[in-house]
Amino acid sequence: MKYLLNGAIAALLLGGAAAHANESVLAEVAKPEQWAIQTGDYANTRYSELDQINKGNVGDLRVAWSFSTGVLRGHEGSPLVIGDVMYVHTPFPNKVFALDLKDNGRILWRYEPQQNPEVIAVMCCDTVNRGLAYADNTILLHQADTTLVALDATTGAEKWKVKTGDPAIGETNTTTVLPVKDKVIVGVSGGEYGVRGRVTAYNLADGSEAWKAYSTGPDAEMLVDPENTTHLGKPIGPDSSLNSWEGDQWKIGGGTTWGWFSYDPDLNLMYYGTGNPSTWNPSQRPGDNKWSMTIMARDVDTGMAKWFYQMTPHDEWDFDGVNEMILTDQDVDGTPRKLLTHFDRNGLAYTLDRESGELLVAEKFDPAVNWTTGVDMDPASDTYGRPAVVAEYSTEQNGEDVNSTGICPAALGSKDQQPASYSPKTQTFYVPTNHVCMDYEPFRVAYTAGQPYVGATLSMFPAPGSHGGMGNFIAWDNVTGTIKWSIPEQFSVWSGALATAGDVVFYGTLEGYLKAVDAETGAELFKFKTSSGIIGNVMTYMHDGKQYIGILSGVGGWAGIGLAAGLTNPNDGLGAVGGYAALSDYTELGGQLTVFELPG
Amino acid sequence: MRFTTSLATLFLGTMLAGAAPAQEAPPPSTADKGTAAGAASETMGQQLGELDAQVHGDSPAGVAAGTTVLPNGMDITPVEMVEGRWTNADGLPVPKIAEDGTTDYATFSGFRRYHAECHVCHGPDGEGSTYAPALKNTVLNMDYYDFLEIAASGKQEVNAASNQVMPAFGTNKNAWCYINDIYVYLLARGTDGIPRGRPAKKEAKSDEFTEQENSCMSM
Repeated sequence: MKYLLNGAIAALLLGGAAAHANESVLAEVAKPEQWAIQTGDYANTRYSELDQINKGNVGDLRVAWSFSTGVLRGHEGSPLVIGDVMYVHTPFPNKVFALDLKDNGRILWRYEPQQNPEVIAVMCCDTVNRGLAYADNTILLHQADTTLVALDATTGAEKWKVKTGDPAIGETNTTTVLPVKDKVIVGVSGGEYGVRGRVTAYNLADGSEAWKAYSTGPDAEMLVDPENTTHLGKPIGPDSSLNSWEGDQWKIGGGTTWGWFSYDPDLNLMYYGTGNPSTWNPSQRPGDNKWSMTIMARDVDTGMAKWFYQMTPHDEWDFDGVNEMILTDQDVDGTPRKLLTHFDRNGLAYTLDRESGELLVAEKFDPAVNWTTGVDMDPASDTYGRPAVVAEYSTEQNGEDVNSTGICPAALGSKDQQPASYSPKTQTFYVPTNHVCMDYEPFRVAYTAGQPYVGATLSMFPAPGSHGGMGNFIAWDNVTGTIKWSIPEQFSVWSGALATAGDVVFYGTLEGYLKAVDAETGAELFKFKTSSGIIGNVMTYMHDGKQYIGILSGVGGWAGIGLAAGLTNPNDGLGAVGGYAALSDYTELGGQLTVFELPG
Repeated sequence: MRFTTSLATLFLGTMLAGAAPAQEAPPPSTADKGTAAGAASETMGQQLGELDAQVHGDSPAGVAAGTTVLPNGMDITPVEMVEGRWTNADGLPVPKIAEDGTTDYATFSGFRRYHAECHVCHGPDGEGSTYAPALKNTVLNMDYYDFLEIAASGKQEVNAASNQVMPAFGTNKNAWCYINDIYVYLLARGTDGIPRGRPAKKEAKSDEFTEQENSCMSM
């Protein structure tokens, strides 16, 4: 009876709330004093209009206060600030804290879900979570075990919860959700377990499923229209995915959706990328493996796909296509365009027209990238839009049980999920990158549900013939496809960037530094070593007329695994073993939010 | 565990007794004493010297360079090849590294399988990560059968300070078919028998090995 009653109320509310929800997120995001969505805004620019902290005074920053989360694993994402309340999340067990900014961060409420710890065992690469979302006085938490829960933002009480996946077959969650209009849209992790990727939309009012769009399989299950869904301007045609796999392999074919989501309210389209095809052994899955490694544009109301662009057909290196899609309005050749810019794991930065899916720019954003000579930009060509693969670095052409050496970038990509930032003032993208190469040897593997389905072994090492470090923080021009400046870093930069109207760009490092640099020149203006390595994303907010910068510390994630003991270059011979920096010499596990302010 | 340790002790005692009857068999639990005992025995000294020549790099934590006896008492001297894999006198899997660094195929296979199944938590080359232990050290202290049990059934340490869960690999053919390979690879790493990275030289894959690999595919 109680359930029915609640359902009736929810149904009643739904009519009124449907149009309201979208406005709620848009309205909250539009207030520069808040950090209302993980990505800063729907366009994923991670840009703030706040300028109280600027390049003239950022050097005076000091710690205002800090908060320990009580969890010692990789801390990705960032807190949210809505009004006078800050919402902080943690890695597994995915605690949520509501902190009162009016009362020195007193804990207003806390929420800790009960999750079966078995889920940790099927999380590839640490128990990270990329943060909460907010809509209509509701905090949305997508737990590691794929439970999506809606919490009352005022009290922390559960409104509803729904299971979006099955950890028993390796389905887990690490990413944040997209609250949009009357829906909340979620992805799934598990590309290393043969999970079939998809995005699923739930109704914000009650958690009921609205639509589900798979990355692979029959047209009806992918929510594509063979005639009207396009790839580089042409219809994708019937059975586009089924035709690109052998037999039923698409069922365990990956294409997971663990990255970021962006949304264009005017076009009513959401944008995201799909992950690697399973397994990592390309010889075991002939074909283009559609639609893994693909940028997707979908109508948020229906899920119907408007256009796709597959960046890395038949992946041979684990170059997931999940990194963020940053939406900007800029002039190209004197014409205003609605652009989408994406820094892919494969080392290429793509600029597309986000309305049509037309490919405008595809250039390397790290000069070390060597697996391809570039993308075919000739619309008349048979291989239009495809990257030209260098045979020497093709793990498919070299075959099973052969070690392909010196491939750049490594499987973690020239950039992983750590999100870039865009400043409209400088029309520049600020990109945290990896500068790491690899040897990659594929071999045959068997599929067992809920067990790793990897099929390759790899060794990683700093890009040879460079500065010896494993990362760069770069400024990128997305119209010309060129690097403006590049700051060498000892370790991969695994922290999301923040650009502000104060002409400052912030990012964190794996040693634990929060750094501020000049948005024009990249000159370092400030740094402070926090309690642990940073893989979280920098955020900013204003409270009581004062601007603050917030960052989560807590080393871990894929970076914490690969770099904890340092990397070695097998090609350097024995003499250099141990010659590269070990992250464990610089930092330890942690879980802390640090908030910075100007004196006075 | 007790059973294996006492077996190893028995074996070690027998071997030393044969080589130098006047010497007491050393307790197998400390590597230092193992080396000292070796110096006291000409035959042992030669054996250790030979192994020493195979060792690359610095001494790892917990075991002196050149020892054939692990802190857990296991003697890792390869004695016999059984079904394509080297074993010690107790029939337990061990690595065999030639003087020029060439590894037996099982150790190489272990390198590959480790970096497909284990390294996403335990880090490259058995070195550990920010949250999972360095298995190259674990195998020096942990008994072979305990290693197998944890690999098969998994392990949980979930409490206020820790959220560590290792999955059970007992039903994962990609791991379980090669668990002995992974074990000998980690032994080779833990005793510095091979350096970090991909083994430079390896024995050829035997037909027996290929046959076993094929039997482990279910697709």
